[in-house]
Amino acid sequence: MTSQRPIRASTPALLKDLRSLKVLVMHPDDGDGRELTQQLTRIGCQVQAVWPPLPTLPEGVDAVFLAVRPGLDESTLAWARGEETPILVAVVTYENPTIVGLVLRLGAKAVLPSPVRSFGVLSALVLARKVAEDLKETSKHVNKLQAKLLSHRRIADAKSILMRTRGIGETEAYELIREQAMSRRRTTEEIALSIVNANEILTTGWSK
Amino acid sequence: MANVDPVKVGVLFSETGTTSTIGLSQLKGTLLAIEEVNEAGGINGRELVPVCLDPQSNPLVYTQLASRLILEEGVNVIFGCYMSSSRKAVVPVIEKWNKLLFYPTLYEGFEFSNNLIYTGAAPNQNSVQLAEFMTNHFGARIFLIGSDYIYPYESNRIMTDLVLQKSGAAKLGEHYVELAATEADFGPIMKEIRDQRPDFIFSTVVGNATASLYRAYAEAGFDPKTMPIASLTTSEAEVHQMGADVAEGHFTSAPYFQSIDSDANRRCLARFQRRFGSDCVPNQCWEAAYFQVHMFANAMREVGSDEIAELMPHVLTQEFNAPQGRVRIDPRNHHTCLYPRIGRANSEGQFTIVREAKRAVHPDPYLVTYSLGDWTAELDMLP
Repeated sequence: MTSQRPIRASTPALLKDLRSLKVLVMHPDDGDGRELTQQLTRIGCQVQAVWPPLPTLPEGVDAVFLAVRPGLDESTLAWARGEETPILVAVVTYENPTIVGLVLRLGAKAVLPSPVRSFGVLSALVLARKVAEDLKETSKHVNKLQAKLLSHRRIADAKSILMRTRGIGETEAYELIREQAMSRRRTTEEIALSIVNANEILTTGWSK
Repeated sequence: MANVDPVKVGVLFSETGTTSTIGLSQLKGTLLAIEEVNEAGGINGRELVPVCLDPQSNPLVYTQLASRLILEEGVNVIFGCYMSSSRKAVVPVIEKWNKLLFYPTLYEGFEFSNNLIYTGAAPNQNSVQLAEFMTNHFGARIFLIGSDYIYPYESNRIMTDLVLQKSGAAKLGEHYVELAATEADFGPIMKEIRDQRPDFIFSTVVGNATASLYRAYAEAGFDPKTMPIASLTTSEAEVHQMGADVAEGHFTSAPYFQSIDSDANRRCLARFQRRFGSDCVPNQCWEAAYFQVHMFANAMREVGSDEIAELMPHVLTQEFNAPQGRVRIDPRNHHTCLYPRIGRANSEGQFTIVREAKRAVHPDPYLVTYSLGDWTAELDMLP
Protein backbone atom coordinates (compact mmCIF):
# COMPACT_ATOMS: atom_id res chain seq x y z
CA MET A 1 0.00 0.00 0.00
CA THR A 2 1.29 3.42 -0.82
CA SER A 3 -0.20 6.77 -0.07
CA GLN A 4 0.34 10.01 -1.89
CA ARG A 5 -0.04 13.17 0.11
CA PRO A 6 -1.07 16.28 -1.72
CA ILE A 7 2.07 18.13 -2.66
CA ARG A 8 2.38 20.41 0.30
CA ALA A 9 3.31 24.04 0.30
CA SER A 10 6.86 24.44 1.54
CA THR A 11 7.79 25.61 5.02
CA PRO A 12 5.42 28.23 6.48
CA ALA A 13 6.77 31.78 6.71
CA LEU A 14 6.09 31.87 10.45
CA LEU A 15 8.75 29.18 10.85
CA LYS A 16 11.14 30.52 8.25
CA ASP A 17 11.82 33.83 9.96
CA LEU A 18 12.26 32.51 13.52
CA ARG A 19 15.95 33.37 13.40
CA SER A 20 15.30 37.04 12.69
CA LEU A 21 12.99 37.45 15.71
CA LYS A 22 14.03 39.70 18.59
CA VAL A 23 12.77 38.03 21.73
CA LEU A 24 12.82 39.52 25.20
CA VAL A 25 12.76 37.11 28.13
CA MET A 26 11.39 39.00 31.14
CA HIS A 27 12.03 36.36 33.73
CA PRO A 28 14.11 36.05 36.89
CA ASP A 29 17.49 34.42 36.26
CA ASP A 30 16.47 31.04 37.71
CA GLY A 31 16.19 27.52 36.27
CA ASP A 32 13.10 28.39 34.22
CA GLY A 33 14.59 31.65 32.96
CA ARG A 34 17.80 29.95 31.88
CA GLU A 35 16.04 26.98 30.26
CA LEU A 36 13.88 29.41 28.29
CA THR A 37 16.79 31.60 27.19
CA GLN A 38 18.89 28.58 26.21
CA GLN A 39 16.08 26.98 24.23
CA LEU A 40 15.28 30.23 22.39
CA THR A 41 18.99 30.49 21.59
CA ARG A 42 18.99 26.93 20.24
CA ILE A 43 16.00 27.79 18.07
CA GLY A 44 18.14 30.67 16.83
CA CYS A 45 16.13 33.73 17.95
CA GLN A 46 17.95 36.89 19.01
CA VAL A 47 17.39 36.65 22.75
CA GLN A 48 17.81 39.17 25.53
CA ALA A 49 16.98 38.38 29.16
CA VAL A 50 15.87 41.05 31.65
CA TRP A 51 14.39 41.18 35.13
CA PRO A 52 12.57 43.01 36.67
CA PRO A 53 10.08 43.85 33.89
CA LEU A 54 10.89 46.95 31.84
CA PRO A 55 8.38 49.84 31.75
CA THR A 56 9.31 50.52 28.11
CA LEU A 57 10.59 48.06 25.59
CA PRO A 58 13.78 48.33 23.53
CA GLU A 59 13.30 49.11 19.83
CA GLY A 60 12.14 46.33 17.52
CA VAL A 61 11.12 43.63 20.01
CA ASP A 62 8.91 41.05 18.26
CA ALA A 63 7.98 38.83 21.20
CA VAL A 64 8.13 38.89 24.99
CA PHE A 65 8.16 35.87 27.30
CA LEU A 66 6.97 37.27 30.61
CA ALA A 67 7.03 35.59 34.03
CA VAL A 68 3.48 36.22 35.23
CA ARG A 69 3.50 35.67 38.98
CA PRO A 70 1.65 36.92 42.03
CA GLY A 71 2.78 40.44 42.84
CA LEU A 72 3.56 41.40 39.25
CA ASP A 73 2.94 45.14 39.02
CA GLU A 74 0.61 45.66 36.05
CA SER A 75 1.20 49.39 36.03
CA THR A 76 4.77 48.77 34.83
CA LEU A 77 3.47 46.90 31.79
CA ALA A 78 1.83 49.71 29.83
CA TRP A 79 3.56 48.42 26.70
CA ALA A 80 1.39 45.30 26.78
CA ARG A 81 -1.75 47.35 26.07
CA GLY A 82 -0.62 49.55 23.19
CA GLU A 83 -1.71 49.31 19.54
CA GLU A 84 1.45 47.78 18.05
CA THR A 85 2.46 45.58 20.97
CA PRO A 86 4.89 42.68 20.64
CA ILE A 87 3.51 39.18 20.99
CA LEU A 88 3.25 38.13 24.61
CA VAL A 89 3.78 34.60 25.94
CA ALA A 90 3.06 34.20 29.65
CA VAL A 91 5.23 31.90 31.76
CA VAL A 92 3.11 30.85 34.72
CA THR A 93 3.81 29.08 37.99
CA TYR A 94 0.14 29.07 39.10
CA GLU A 95 -3.09 28.67 37.21
CA ASN A 96 -5.49 30.02 39.82
CA PRO A 97 -8.06 32.66 38.76
CA THR A 98 -5.82 35.51 39.96
CA ILE A 99 -3.00 34.52 37.62
CA VAL A 100 -5.18 33.41 34.71
CA GLY A 101 -7.06 36.71 35.01
CA LEU A 102 -3.78 38.59 34.84
CA VAL A 103 -2.71 36.57 31.79
CA LEU A 104 -5.98 37.54 30.07
CA ARG A 105 -5.67 41.23 30.97
CA LEU A 106 -2.14 41.34 29.58
CA GLY A 107 -3.40 39.91 26.28
CA ALA A 108 -1.05 36.92 26.24
CA LYS A 109 -1.35 34.81 23.09
CA ALA A 110 0.13 31.63 24.61
CA VAL A 111 1.07 30.20 27.98
CA LEU A 112 4.10 28.16 29.04
CA PRO A 113 3.74 26.32 32.34
CA SER A 114 6.56 26.17 34.87
CA PRO A 115 8.79 24.17 35.19
CA VAL A 116 9.78 25.25 31.69
CA ARG A 117 10.91 22.41 29.42
CA SER A 118 12.74 22.93 26.17
CA PHE A 119 10.00 20.95 24.45
CA GLY A 120 7.02 23.20 23.71
CA VAL A 121 8.77 26.57 23.53
CA LEU A 122 8.95 26.56 19.73
CA SER A 123 5.29 25.58 19.32
CA ALA A 124 4.15 28.21 21.85
CA LEU A 125 6.10 30.93 20.08
CA VAL A 126 4.88 30.01 16.61
CA LEU A 127 1.28 29.61 17.74
CA ALA A 128 1.32 32.95 19.58
CA ARG A 129 2.60 34.64 16.42
CA LYS A 130 -0.09 32.92 14.37
CA VAL A 131 -2.86 34.02 16.77
CA ALA A 132 -1.54 37.60 16.83
CA GLU A 133 -1.25 37.68 13.04
CA ASP A 134 -4.77 36.30 12.58
CA LEU A 135 -6.21 38.83 15.06
CA LYS A 136 -4.50 41.67 13.22
CA GLU A 137 -5.80 40.43 9.87
CA THR A 138 -9.29 39.98 11.27
CA SER A 139 -9.47 43.45 12.78
CA LYS A 140 -8.19 44.95 9.53
CA HIS A 141 -10.94 43.07 7.71
CA VAL A 142 -13.59 44.18 10.21
CA ASN A 143 -12.53 47.84 9.83
CA LYS A 144 -12.80 47.53 6.07
CA LEU A 145 -16.25 45.95 6.30
CA GLN A 146 -17.44 48.61 8.72
CA ALA A 147 -16.30 51.36 6.36
CA LYS A 148 -18.01 49.63 3.47
CA LEU A 149 -21.23 49.19 5.43
CA LEU A 150 -21.27 52.87 6.35
CA SER A 151 -20.72 53.85 2.74
CA HIS A 152 -23.61 51.64 1.61
CA ARG A 153 -25.88 53.18 4.21
CA ARG A 154 -24.95 56.72 3.09
CA ILE A 155 -25.64 55.94 -0.53
CA ALA A 156 -28.99 54.38 0.40
CA ASP A 157 -29.90 57.46 2.44
CA ALA A 158 -28.89 59.81 -0.38
CA LYS A 159 -30.88 57.75 -2.86
CA SER A 160 -34.03 57.91 -0.77
CA ILE A 161 -33.61 61.68 -0.33
CA LEU A 162 -33.34 62.13 -4.08
CA MET A 163 -36.26 59.80 -4.73
CA ARG A 164 -38.42 61.74 -2.30
CA THR A 165 -37.41 65.26 -3.29
CA ARG A 166 -37.32 64.74 -7.04
CA GLY A 167 -39.93 62.09 -7.44
CA ILE A 168 -37.63 59.67 -9.32
CA GLY A 169 -37.01 55.92 -9.09
CA GLU A 170 -34.12 54.22 -7.30
CA THR A 171 -32.15 53.51 -10.48
CA GLU A 172 -32.37 57.11 -11.62
CA ALA A 173 -31.39 58.31 -8.13
CA TYR A 174 -28.27 56.19 -8.19
CA GLU A 175 -27.46 57.31 -11.74
CA LEU A 176 -27.66 60.90 -10.57
CA ILE A 177 -25.21 60.26 -7.73
CA ARG A 178 -22.86 58.43 -10.05
CA GLU A 179 -22.92 61.17 -12.70
CA GLN A 180 -22.14 63.78 -10.06
CA ALA A 181 -19.27 61.64 -8.75
CA MET A 182 -17.87 61.28 -12.30
CA SER A 183 -18.07 64.94 -13.19
CA ARG A 184 -16.64 66.14 -9.87
CA ARG A 185 -14.05 63.37 -9.72
CA ARG A 186 -15.13 62.23 -6.30
CA THR A 187 -16.40 58.93 -4.94
CA THR A 188 -20.07 58.08 -4.91
CA GLU A 189 -19.79 57.88 -1.14
CA GLU A 190 -18.57 61.49 -0.90
CA ILE A 191 -21.39 62.73 -3.13
CA ALA A 192 -23.88 60.75 -1.05
CA LEU A 193 -22.51 62.31 2.11
CA SER A 194 -22.90 65.83 0.64
CA ILE A 195 -26.51 65.10 -0.30
CA VAL A 196 -27.30 63.77 3.17
CA ASN A 197 -25.59 66.77 4.84
CA ALA A 198 -27.35 69.28 2.58
CA ASN A 199 -30.67 67.62 3.24
CA GLU A 200 -30.07 67.79 6.99
CA ILE A 201 -29.35 71.52 6.77
CA LEU A 202 -32.48 72.09 4.69
CA THR A 203 -34.61 69.94 6.96
CA THR A 204 -33.31 71.86 9.97
CA GLY A 205 -34.18 75.10 8.19
CA TRP A 206 -37.73 73.97 7.44
CA SER A 207 -38.43 72.86 10.92
CA LYS A 208 -37.56 76.30 12.31
CA MET B 1 39.08 1.51 49.38
CA ALA B 2 38.68 1.92 45.66
CA ASN B 3 35.23 1.21 44.28
CA VAL B 4 35.45 -1.96 42.19
CA ASP B 5 31.72 -2.55 41.75
CA PRO B 6 30.75 -3.23 38.15
CA VAL B 7 28.83 -0.50 36.34
CA LYS B 8 25.62 -1.71 34.68
CA VAL B 9 24.57 0.12 31.53
CA GLY B 10 21.37 -0.41 29.53
CA VAL B 11 21.54 -1.31 25.82
CA LEU B 12 18.30 -0.95 23.85
CA PHE B 13 18.58 -1.83 20.16
CA SER B 14 16.12 -3.89 18.13
CA GLU B 15 17.49 -7.34 17.32
CA THR B 16 14.22 -8.33 15.66
CA GLY B 17 11.54 -6.55 13.60
CA THR B 18 11.64 -4.12 10.69
CA THR B 19 14.72 -2.14 11.76
CA SER B 20 16.74 -5.07 13.11
CA THR B 21 19.53 -4.86 10.54
CA ILE B 22 20.72 -1.48 11.79
CA GLY B 23 19.66 -2.33 15.35
CA LEU B 24 21.91 -5.37 15.44
CA SER B 25 24.83 -3.38 14.05
CA GLN B 26 24.33 -0.68 16.70
CA LEU B 27 24.17 -3.36 19.38
CA LYS B 28 27.44 -4.91 18.23
CA GLY B 29 29.15 -1.55 17.84
CA THR B 30 28.13 -0.82 21.43
CA LEU B 31 29.39 -4.19 22.66
CA LEU B 32 32.73 -3.79 20.86
CA ALA B 33 33.31 -0.45 22.58
CA ILE B 34 32.28 -1.84 25.98
CA GLU B 35 34.77 -4.71 25.55
CA GLU B 36 37.50 -2.23 24.59
CA VAL B 37 36.74 -0.15 27.69
CA ASN B 38 36.94 -3.25 29.87
CA GLU B 39 40.16 -4.47 28.23
CA ALA B 40 41.66 -1.09 29.01
CA GLY B 41 40.91 -1.53 32.72
CA GLY B 42 37.24 -0.58 32.75
CA ILE B 43 36.17 2.69 34.36
CA ASN B 44 38.99 3.22 36.85
CA GLY B 45 39.01 -0.52 37.57
CA ARG B 46 35.25 -0.96 37.44
CA GLU B 47 33.90 -3.30 34.77
CA LEU B 48 31.19 -2.07 32.37
CA VAL B 49 28.37 -4.63 32.27
CA PRO B 50 25.87 -4.25 29.43
CA VAL B 51 22.24 -5.25 30.06
CA CYS B 52 20.93 -5.82 26.52
CA LEU B 53 17.18 -6.03 25.87
CA ASP B 54 15.43 -6.40 22.49
CA PRO B 55 12.59 -3.88 21.89
CA GLN B 56 11.59 -5.71 18.67
CA SER B 57 11.29 -2.48 16.59
CA ASN B 58 8.13 -1.68 18.59
CA PRO B 59 7.78 1.71 20.39
CA LEU B 60 5.55 0.26 23.13
CA VAL B 61 8.17 -2.36 23.95
CA TYR B 62 10.83 0.38 23.96
CA THR B 63 8.90 2.22 26.70
CA GLN B 64 8.44 -0.96 28.76
CA LEU B 65 12.05 -2.06 28.47
CA ALA B 66 13.44 1.40 29.24
CA SER B 67 11.41 1.34 32.47
CA ARG B 68 12.67 -2.14 33.23
CA LEU B 69 16.29 -1.16 32.70
CA ILE B 70 15.92 1.76 35.09
CA LEU B 71 13.61 0.28 37.74
CA GLU B 72 14.68 -3.36 37.83
CA GLU B 73 18.26 -3.31 36.55
CA GLY B 74 19.08 0.01 38.20
CA VAL B 75 20.98 1.51 35.24
CA ASN B 76 21.72 5.24 35.09
CA VAL B 77 22.72 5.29 31.43
CA ILE B 78 21.09 3.73 28.36
CA PHE B 79 22.53 3.42 24.86
CA GLY B 80 19.79 2.93 22.31
CA CYS B 81 17.02 3.71 19.83
CA TYR B 82 16.94 3.97 16.04
CA MET B 83 13.69 5.35 14.61
CA SER B 84 12.39 8.65 16.01
CA SER B 85 9.28 6.87 17.25
CA SER B 86 11.49 4.66 19.44
CA ARG B 87 13.36 7.68 20.84
CA LYS B 88 10.10 9.51 21.56
CA ALA B 89 8.88 6.38 23.37
CA VAL B 90 11.96 6.29 25.62
CA VAL B 91 12.51 10.02 26.33
CA PRO B 92 9.59 10.43 28.80
CA VAL B 93 10.85 7.46 30.83
CA ILE B 94 14.42 8.79 30.82
CA GLU B 95 13.26 12.27 31.85
CA LYS B 96 10.87 10.98 34.51
CA TRP B 97 13.67 9.14 36.34
CA ASN B 98 16.34 11.69 35.38
CA LYS B 99 18.59 9.18 33.60
CA LEU B 100 20.81 9.60 30.53
CA LEU B 101 20.19 8.31 26.99
CA PHE B 102 22.86 8.21 24.27
CA TYR B 103 21.14 8.16 20.86
CA PRO B 104 23.40 7.07 17.96
CA THR B 105 21.17 7.71 14.96
CA LEU B 106 20.71 10.43 12.36
CA TYR B 107 17.29 12.04 12.84
CA GLU B 108 15.16 15.02 11.74
CA GLY B 109 16.22 17.53 14.42
CA PHE B 110 13.97 19.84 16.48
CA GLU B 111 14.64 18.18 19.77
CA PHE B 112 16.66 18.90 22.85
CA SER B 113 16.50 17.20 26.21
CA ASN B 114 18.75 17.69 29.19
CA ASN B 115 18.73 13.89 29.47
CA LEU B 116 19.92 13.08 25.94
CA ILE B 117 23.12 13.04 23.95
CA TYR B 118 22.64 12.85 20.16
CA THR B 119 25.59 11.35 18.25
CA GLY B 120 24.02 10.88 14.80
CA ALA B 121 23.75 13.54 12.10
CA ALA B 122 21.29 16.43 12.27
CA PRO B 123 19.89 17.61 8.90
CA ASN B 124 22.46 20.39 8.58
CA GLN B 125 25.13 17.66 8.64
CA ASN B 126 23.77 15.49 5.84
CA SER B 127 20.74 16.92 3.92
CA VAL B 128 22.28 20.24 2.89
CA GLN B 129 25.39 18.55 1.52
CA LEU B 130 23.35 15.94 -0.36
CA ALA B 131 21.06 18.58 -1.93
CA GLU B 132 24.06 20.63 -3.02
CA PHE B 133 25.81 17.65 -4.57
CA MET B 134 22.81 16.11 -6.31
CA THR B 135 21.46 19.35 -7.78
CA ASN B 136 24.90 20.34 -9.08
CA HIS B 137 25.51 16.98 -10.73
CA PHE B 138 22.10 15.79 -11.81
CA GLY B 139 19.60 18.65 -11.69
CA ALA B 140 16.79 19.87 -9.49
CA ARG B 141 13.78 17.92 -10.73
CA ILE B 142 13.18 15.63 -7.80
CA PHE B 143 11.00 12.66 -6.89
CA LEU B 144 10.57 11.77 -3.20
CA ILE B 145 9.96 8.32 -1.73
CA GLY B 146 9.90 7.69 2.02
CA SER B 147 8.71 5.38 4.74
CA ASP B 148 5.48 6.57 6.31
CA TYR B 149 6.67 8.26 9.53
CA ILE B 150 8.02 11.52 10.87
CA TYR B 151 11.66 11.34 9.73
CA PRO B 152 10.83 11.10 6.01
CA TYR B 153 8.19 13.86 6.23
CA GLU B 154 10.65 16.29 7.80
CA SER B 155 13.60 15.21 5.61
CA ASN B 156 11.45 15.68 2.52
CA ARG B 157 10.39 19.14 3.66
CA ILE B 158 14.04 20.13 4.05
CA MET B 159 15.10 18.56 0.75
CA THR B 160 12.22 20.24 -1.09
CA ASP B 161 13.05 23.65 0.41
CA LEU B 162 16.68 23.21 -0.64
CA VAL B 163 16.08 21.91 -4.12
CA LEU B 164 13.44 24.52 -4.95
CA GLN B 165 16.11 27.22 -4.54
CA LYS B 166 17.59 26.05 -7.85
CA SER B 167 16.35 27.31 -11.19
CA GLY B 168 14.34 24.76 -13.13
CA ALA B 169 13.51 22.91 -9.91
CA ALA B 170 10.39 20.80 -9.61
CA LYS B 171 8.89 18.29 -7.22
CA LEU B 172 7.49 15.60 -9.49
CA GLY B 173 6.12 13.23 -6.87
CA GLU B 174 6.04 12.42 -3.18
CA HIS B 175 5.15 8.94 -1.96
CA TYR B 176 5.15 7.22 1.40
CA VAL B 177 5.23 3.45 1.88
CA GLU B 178 4.68 1.27 4.92
CA LEU B 179 7.73 0.26 6.95
CA ALA B 180 7.17 -3.33 5.86
CA ALA B 181 6.86 -2.40 2.15
CA THR B 182 7.88 -5.04 -0.39
CA GLU B 183 9.12 -4.83 -3.97
CA ALA B 184 5.53 -5.04 -5.25
CA ASP B 185 4.60 -1.87 -3.34
CA PHE B 186 7.21 0.07 -5.28
CA GLY B 187 5.97 -1.15 -8.70
CA PRO B 188 3.38 1.61 -9.31
CA ILE B 189 5.83 4.24 -8.07
CA MET B 190 8.47 3.08 -10.57
CA LYS B 191 5.86 3.42 -13.30
CA GLU B 192 5.24 7.00 -12.27
CA ILE B 193 8.99 7.67 -12.22
CA ARG B 194 9.24 6.33 -15.76
CA ASP B 195 6.63 8.89 -16.85
CA GLN B 196 8.00 11.80 -14.83
CA ARG B 197 11.73 11.30 -15.57
CA PRO B 198 13.12 13.18 -12.51
CA ASP B 199 16.80 14.18 -12.33
CA PHE B 200 17.20 12.11 -9.19
CA ILE B 201 15.14 10.21 -6.62
CA PHE B 202 15.41 11.16 -2.95
CA SER B 203 14.78 8.13 -0.75
CA THR B 204 14.01 8.27 2.94
CA VAL B 205 12.87 4.66 2.98
CA VAL B 206 14.34 2.99 6.07
CA GLY B 207 14.73 -0.53 7.40
CA ASN B 208 14.37 -3.70 5.44
CA ALA B 209 12.15 -1.99 2.83
CA THR B 210 15.24 -0.18 1.50
CA ALA B 211 16.47 -3.25 -0.35
CA SER B 212 13.02 -3.65 -1.98
CA LEU B 213 13.10 -0.07 -3.30
CA TYR B 214 16.53 -0.44 -4.92
CA ARG B 215 15.58 -3.84 -6.35
CA ALA B 216 12.37 -2.40 -7.80
CA TYR B 217 14.48 0.39 -9.34
CA ALA B 218 16.87 -2.16 -10.88
CA GLU B 219 13.95 -4.29 -12.11
CA ALA B 220 12.50 -1.21 -13.84
CA GLY B 221 15.75 -0.95 -15.80
CA PHE B 222 16.64 2.58 -14.71
CA ASP B 223 20.24 3.81 -14.90
CA PRO B 224 21.93 5.32 -11.81
CA LYS B 225 24.28 7.24 -14.12
CA THR B 226 21.46 9.49 -15.26
CA MET B 227 18.80 9.19 -12.51
CA PRO B 228 20.35 7.90 -9.27
CA ILE B 229 18.74 7.41 -5.88
CA ALA B 230 20.09 9.77 -3.20
CA SER B 231 19.66 8.78 0.43
CA LEU B 232 20.58 9.69 4.00
CA THR B 233 19.92 6.22 5.36
CA THR B 234 21.08 3.67 2.81
CA SER B 235 24.31 2.45 4.38
CA GLU B 236 26.68 -0.47 3.79
CA ALA B 237 24.26 -2.65 5.80
CA GLU B 238 21.36 -2.01 3.41
CA VAL B 239 23.70 -2.39 0.43
CA HIS B 240 24.74 -5.79 1.81
CA GLN B 241 21.06 -6.80 1.98
CA MET B 242 20.23 -5.75 -1.59
CA GLY B 243 23.52 -6.81 -3.19
CA ALA B 244 26.36 -4.61 -4.46
CA ASP B 245 25.20 -4.89 -8.08
CA VAL B 246 21.77 -3.43 -7.19
CA ALA B 247 23.23 -0.54 -5.15
CA GLU B 248 26.09 0.43 -7.44
CA GLY B 249 26.01 4.02 -8.64
CA HIS B 250 23.55 5.35 -6.05
CA PHE B 251 24.51 8.08 -3.54
CA THR B 252 24.36 8.39 0.24
CA SER B 253 25.24 11.31 2.51
CA ALA B 254 26.60 10.25 5.92
CA PRO B 255 29.40 11.19 8.36
CA TYR B 256 30.81 7.68 8.24
CA PHE B 257 31.58 5.12 5.56
CA GLN B 258 33.71 1.99 6.02
CA SER B 259 35.93 3.24 3.21
CA ILE B 260 37.26 6.20 5.24
CA ASP B 261 41.01 6.20 4.81
CA SER B 262 42.31 6.51 8.38
CA ASP B 263 44.20 4.34 10.85
CA ALA B 264 41.54 4.80 13.54
CA ASN B 265 38.89 3.50 11.14
CA ARG B 266 40.92 0.59 9.75
CA ARG B 267 41.94 -0.58 13.24
CA CYS B 268 38.37 -0.35 14.53
CA LEU B 269 37.02 -2.34 11.56
CA ALA B 270 39.72 -5.00 12.01
CA ARG B 271 38.96 -5.40 15.74
CA PHE B 272 35.25 -5.59 14.97
CA GLN B 273 35.70 -8.29 12.36
CA ARG B 274 37.97 -10.37 14.66
CA ARG B 275 35.37 -10.17 17.42
CA PHE B 276 32.07 -10.41 15.51
CA GLY B 277 32.97 -11.86 12.10
CA SER B 278 31.59 -10.41 8.89
CA ASP B 279 27.86 -11.14 9.29
CA CYS B 280 27.23 -7.74 10.81
CA VAL B 281 27.97 -4.84 8.46
CA PRO B 282 29.45 -1.64 9.95
CA ASN B 283 27.65 1.58 8.94
CA GLN B 284 27.11 5.17 10.14
CA CYS B 285 24.80 4.12 13.00
CA TRP B 286 27.23 1.41 14.06
CA GLU B 287 30.02 3.95 14.22
CA ALA B 288 27.99 6.43 16.32
CA ALA B 289 26.96 3.57 18.64
CA TYR B 290 30.63 2.68 18.96
CA PHE B 291 32.15 6.08 19.66
CA GLN B 292 29.43 7.27 22.04
CA VAL B 293 30.29 4.45 24.49
CA HIS B 294 33.91 5.63 24.55
CA MET B 295 32.81 9.22 25.13
CA PHE B 296 30.64 8.08 28.02
CA ALA B 297 33.46 5.95 29.48
CA ASN B 298 36.01 8.79 29.25
CA ALA B 299 33.57 11.20 30.92
CA MET B 300 32.87 8.71 33.70
CA ARG B 301 36.59 8.12 34.23
CA GLU B 302 36.95 11.84 34.89
CA VAL B 303 34.16 12.09 37.47
CA GLY B 304 33.83 8.52 38.80
CA SER B 305 30.04 8.54 38.68
CA ASP B 306 27.33 7.68 36.17
CA GLU B 307 24.71 9.84 37.92
CA ILE B 308 23.53 12.35 35.31
CA ALA B 309 23.98 15.45 37.50
CA GLU B 310 27.68 14.66 38.03
CA LEU B 311 28.38 12.99 34.70
CA MET B 312 26.73 15.42 32.24
CA PRO B 313 29.18 18.34 32.61
CA HIS B 314 31.99 15.91 31.71
CA VAL B 315 30.09 14.35 28.79
CA LEU B 316 29.56 17.83 27.32
CA THR B 317 33.30 18.51 27.08
CA GLN B 318 34.20 15.17 25.48
CA GLU B 319 36.19 14.81 22.29
CA PHE B 320 37.10 11.48 20.74
CA ASN B 321 39.12 10.14 17.82
CA ALA B 322 36.26 8.26 16.20
CA PRO B 323 36.61 6.27 12.98
CA GLN B 324 35.10 9.26 11.06
CA GLY B 325 37.54 11.77 12.63
CA ARG B 326 37.84 13.71 15.87
CA VAL B 327 34.29 14.28 17.09
CA ARG B 328 33.06 16.36 20.00
CA ILE B 329 29.83 17.16 21.77
CA ASP B 330 28.39 20.65 21.28
CA PRO B 331 27.42 21.63 24.86
CA ARG B 332 24.79 24.12 23.66
CA ASN B 333 22.52 21.53 22.11
CA HIS B 334 23.90 18.09 23.18
CA HIS B 335 24.36 17.05 19.54
CA THR B 336 27.74 16.12 18.01
CA CYS B 337 30.16 17.89 15.65
CA LEU B 338 30.53 15.49 12.70
CA TYR B 339 32.15 15.21 9.25
CA PRO B 340 29.61 15.22 6.38
CA ARG B 341 30.56 13.01 3.45
CA ILE B 342 28.99 11.94 0.16
CA GLY B 343 29.55 8.36 -0.97
CA ARG B 344 28.77 6.60 -4.24
CA ALA B 345 28.04 2.88 -3.89
CA ASN B 346 30.63 0.81 -5.77
CA SER B 347 30.82 -2.74 -7.09
CA GLU B 348 32.35 -4.06 -3.85
CA GLY B 349 29.33 -3.09 -1.74
CA GLN B 350 31.28 -0.16 -0.29
CA PHE B 351 31.03 3.58 -0.85
CA THR B 352 33.57 5.54 -2.84
CA ILE B 353 33.76 8.85 -1.00
CA VAL B 354 33.37 11.66 -3.54
CA ARG B 355 33.08 14.63 -1.16
CA GLU B 356 34.12 15.13 2.43
CA ALA B 357 34.30 17.89 5.03
CA LYS B 358 37.81 18.72 6.22
CA ARG B 359 36.53 20.25 9.45
CA ALA B 360 33.79 18.96 11.72
CA VAL B 361 30.44 20.67 11.11
CA HIS B 362 28.58 21.95 14.18
CA PRO B 363 25.12 20.48 14.69
CA ASP B 364 22.21 22.93 14.33
CA PRO B 365 19.13 20.83 15.18
CA TYR B 366 16.71 23.79 15.14
CA LEU B 367 17.61 25.08 11.69
CA VAL B 368 14.33 25.69 9.82
CA THR B 369 15.57 27.44 6.71
CA TYR B 370 18.46 26.00 4.82
CA SER B 371 20.27 27.63 1.99
CA LEU B 372 22.44 26.03 -0.61
CA GLY B 373 25.94 27.40 -0.65
CA ASP B 374 26.28 27.75 3.14
CA TRP B 375 29.90 27.40 4.19
CA THR B 376 28.84 24.45 6.33
CA ALA B 377 27.58 22.67 3.26
CA GLU B 378 30.73 23.02 1.23
CA LEU B 379 32.62 19.82 0.94
CA ASP B 380 36.05 19.34 -0.44
CA MET B 381 36.35 17.44 -3.67
CA LEU B 382 38.56 14.41 -3.35
CA PRO B 383 41.34 14.02 -5.90
